Amino acid sequence: MNTNLKISNVTKIYPGCVANDNVSLEFNSGKIYALLGENGAGKSTLVKILSGVIIPDEGKIYLNENNLKLNSPLDAKKNDIGMVFQHFNLFETLSVFENLIIDSDEQREGLREKIDSIMRKYNFSIDLDIPVLNLSAGQKQKVEIIRCLIRSPKVLIMDEPTSVLTEQETSELFLSLKKFSEEGILIIYITHKLKEVMELCDEVAVMRRGKLVSVSEIKNENIESLANKMVGQNLKTIKKKKEKNSSDKLINITNLNFISEDPFETNLSDINFSVNRGECLGIAGISGNGQSELFQVLSGEIISDKNSIEFNKNYIGDLNPQERREYLMAFSPEDRLEQAAIPQMAIYENVALNNYKSSNFFNNGLINENKIKEHSKKIISDFNVNTDNIELKSQFLSGGNLQKLIIGRELITSPDLLICFNPTWGLDVGAINYIHETLIKINEQNKSIILISTDTDELLKLSDKISVIHKGKLSKIMDADEVTSEKLGILMGGGN
Amino acid sequence: MIKIVKRDEPSRAIFFLTPVLAIFLTLVAGGLIFYILGFKPFEALKFFFIVPIADKYGFSELLLKATPLCLIAIGLSFCFKSNNWNIGAEGQLTFGAIVSGGVALLFYEQEGFYILPIVILAGAIGGMLYASIPAILKTYFNTNEILVSLMLVYVSKLILDYLVVGPWSNPEGFNFPETRQFSDSARLPLLFEGLRIHAGIFLALAAVVMSWFIFYKTYLGFQMKVSGFSLKTAKYAGYKGKKMIILVFLISGACAGLAGVGEITGPIGQLHREVSPDYGFTAIIVAFLGRLHPVGIIFASLVVAITYLGAETAQIFMQIPKYTGQVFQGMILFFLLASDYLLFFKFKFIGSKK
Repeated sequence: MNTNLKISNVTKIYPGCVANDNVSLEFNSGKIYALLGENGAGKSTLVKILSGVIIPDEGKIYLNENNLKLNSPLDAKKNDIGMVFQHFNLFETLSVFENLIIDSDEQREGLREKIDSIMRKYNFSIDLDIPVLNLSAGQKQKVEIIRCLIRSPKVLIMDEPTSVLTEQETSELFLSLKKFSEEGILIIYITHKLKEVMELCDEVAVMRRGKLVSVSEIKNENIESLANKMVGQNLKTIKKKKEKNSSDKLINITNLNFISEDPFETNLSDINFSVNRGECLGIAGISGNGQSELFQVLSGEIISDKNSIEFNKNYIGDLNPQERREYLMAFSPEDRLEQAAIPQMAIYENVALNNYKSSNFFNNGLINENKIKEHSKKIISDFNVNTDNIELKSQFLSGGNLQKLIIGRELITSPDLLICFNPTWGLDVGAINYIHETLIKINEQNKSIILISTDTDELLKLSDKISVIHKGKLSKIMDADEVTSEKLGILMGGGN
Repeated sequence: MIKIVKRDEPSRAIFFLTPVLAIFLTLVAGGLIFYILGFKPFEALKFFFIVPIADKYGFSELLLKATPLCLIAIGLSFCFKSNNWNIGAEGQLTFGAIVSGGVALLFYEQEGFYILPIVILAGAIGGMLYASIPAILKTYFNTNEILVSLMLVYVSKLILDYLVVGPWSNPEGFNFPETRQFSDSARLPLLFEGLRIHAGIFLALAAVVMSWFIFYKTYLGFQMKVSGFSLKTAKYAGYKGKKMIILVFLISGACAGLAGVGEITGPIGQLHREVSPDYGFTAIIVAFLGRLHPVGIIFASLVVAITYLGAETAQIFMQIPKYTGQVFQGMILFFLLASDYLLFFKFKFIGSKK
């Protein structure tokens, strides 16, 4: 049976922003639809309306000509709309089976058969009786998908599902989605990754600033045209000039080990690498393979053996981040809101977190507010942070603007080495481009970068050399020109 | 229709208005309780809140009670602002009183300008020592500071009990559970003849100024603030998060200890079983009512001090148990927490829809 889902004149207004401005869209089963847009474009609001999490101010939803009243997620489930969120909603300590039946009112044993048959049909292999915490991100996502499939949904909505997956897991997911689509499930795929849209979808709806900008067939589009629609301006494509780098070693890591007391952390074993001046070393890997620990060891949040890190001919393994900054290192952590910045504090206070001595932010133990504010204004204008109020709490900056502020703050010292961890995670295309340009500029000034990232495209674009981290071990360091994303994917999955 | 909507940003005006709202609601609820008990609400509230401070003596008593509350709450604000839940100020106060009382007793026959500073210092150190226990257990052994600091309150009270009954009891005291009177050199000077208000109020005011200065002007305060919001960020910035935790406990303990000194060298003049009518616990309410802000805490300590006085007046004139005071303190905290809801949510009135 054909499924027809119609969104008609949906408007949702938040104080100060129109999240959805009179959006009308129509979907038919048999096709995979992409809903494309930058962060804050309104696509999440729209799918949350479809899944009953948010109630629209105006507008109606029709499923097969029936006007749906979606007042809660339960209503969406009852009306055969399934949704897989970007962040998993699973109980880590319960078994897979318990997670699957938790919101079902059917009989246990009947369900087990049903789940088995779903898994056979789509070639999923997951042990139903192990706790969810033992699963990989890809498997967890499959559990979420199965949870939707149990209810034989007519519509399946996927919210940025690949952000935590490897290349292989992504292609498996795409195969499954195509299969669902052939079986008549209407699929709506939310993303801001253009490549995925081109690869997977049949039709694409682009949103920008709460409005629907265009609906078109994929065969009439290409990556550039979609990017331009999404951002609303012609983007210049950035390319890094590959130059012959100096062979002057800036940082040299030898036999670095880290054994954690926390069972949820990854141990690092026998890390060895070096980075030359003007070079960018990319470190690829699936999240949770020791990137966070590696970042902390490099930044000094985790202290290691003094001699294991040689920087600019000094041994600094036992120094804390503040002391390492004095040697001209700078750090941009992954977690912008919980680590790199304090959302409840003003922009200028966040700038003061980089307490490099000659910045004179603090004199004789006193806060030098004028100096901090002066510098904050400079960062805001130099790095295009979209505000002119440095007293604004940083929680009101968008992810992109906050990241620009953080990178700007870290570059106060004009450091010799910047260590970034997923610097463009969750940002929109415009901000990503800006950050990438900034990073390239740093290299051009003969300064170095260690870029730990889970985004392979980013790594291939920016790095001179690439290594892959898997279960706390680094692969051999490769020339970026000789690496393909397929090869990285294999290494990231633990292959050779 | 009324709709409850989440605020985008907690409004600054509301932030300082909710304490006022909480006090207002407390008065309304208090009036209601008096009414149910068979009193005329307005008259009872007048006895509770206005009569006690209507004369010079009453006003002096108000400042006398507000002094320890303010001092302790200022200290607690250091802990609470950095997410360290020290609720054992009562114990730190008691231990500070024990140490400073012990020192004062050493000098019981002596006179000299140097005695009082030593006694005061001893009290601060006693409070710090006692506060360092939960701090060190928290930082190095991951214990819960709420439990440890709370339980140490009872330990300190029992130590005090033992001392005033046993080794330190006044040899000429007919076995009353109290020590000798301190010598005049170990007493805080009175500010006015005939009134009990003493120089301890300057300690409290100094603490207010000091806390404002540290929090808003110094690098140390900045580090405390950051560590309080996120230890991860503190670590990333290179601050010594654990030392910061111990430091705020020490400051808080010192303030509570000083409050203890103020009581025993001020109005009491000796050690006995009840050096504090739970000032250390009530100061928690004061700290939150004052929004952990130095100036706010001054006002809050005055408001809460009235409940102590009002309870006494009410007991005398209306034959209501003085524990009514604690009822009022509880109501203030209750309504404050309830009205904090308004910080994050607001009511939106919207016309009925077609």
